[in-house]
Amino acid sequence: MTFMGFVLSAVAVAAALGVVFNRNPLYSAFCLIVNLLAMAGLYSVLNAHFLAVTQVVVYAGAIMVLVLFVLMLLNLKAESGRKLGIFRTLIAAIIAGSVVTTVYPSVSANFEQLSIHALQENAWRSEGTVKAVGEEIYGRYIRQFELSSLVLLIGIVGAVMLSKRKHSTIGPREGGLGGTKQ
Amino acid sequence: MSSVVSYVGLSLVLFAIGAVGVCIRRNAIVVFMCIEMMLNAVNLAFVAFSKLQGNLDGQVAVFFVMVIAAAESAIGLAIIIALFRNNVSVETTDAAQLKW
Repeated sequence: MTFMGFVLSAVAVAAALGVVFNRNPLYSAFCLIVNLLAMAGLYSVLNAHFLAVTQVVVYAGAIMVLVLFVLMLLNLKAESGRKLGIFRTLIAAIIAGSVVTTVYPSVSANFEQLSIHALQENAWRSEGTVKAVGEEIYGRYIRQFELSSLVLLIGIVGAVMLSKRKHSTIGPREGGLGGTKQ
Repeated sequence: MSSVVSYVGLSLVLFAIGAVGVCIRRNAIVVFMCIEMMLNAVNLAFVAFSKLQGNLDGQVAVFFVMVIAAAESAIGLAIIIALFRNNVSVETTDAAQLKW
């Protein structure tokens, strides 16, 4: 890992911890933007230039603007400091521990010796420029690419359908759960 | 320590942090952001293996994951808004009913 890769990974991990442990969801969103930009830098370090630009435009641009828009619209306050159940904390610890301790040893055992040699041999072939990735997408993956447009269409229709207000109810419905809490 | 293995390690760490966030946070929007972070962690592993293998299949897979994530974010945020409209909070513990 180069020096640049090391710095960007440190930023990414710190921002990820910020997303999880900030009480205010707005600060979490800003930390996530930092995390996504650091990931874009890591793609660039790994020679995936097209993906780095797409990451900045799609994730840090479009998706995070949407998330921030919803956060501002709902005007949320910081999460209440209610105690977490011991059960949830235990589940979280088990998942995190098992992901790291089971996958990492197998990956490092399989790729430790092979990779340095293979990297130098294959580096030029995995240069992810716009031209190279575009030729793959419009060549071998053309059917999947067309299908992904269908997925986006379904996403648009679903979002409109879900957020359409029924004409009889304006504002929060009475007798909802939120009205009875506290 | 080879380069690709350390990138996969970073990807695992980010995935684990995202999974912990999904488990311990109650705000639905923060849970949604943690899911985005897990998707990104997997993308990083795809790119690292693409470099290791010396072909672009991994990067094309990342492109499709980004397409799915865009559609998912539109629908997910619409669901969160619908949840807030019915049930004036977005805490996941408050959304305990299947039907209003």
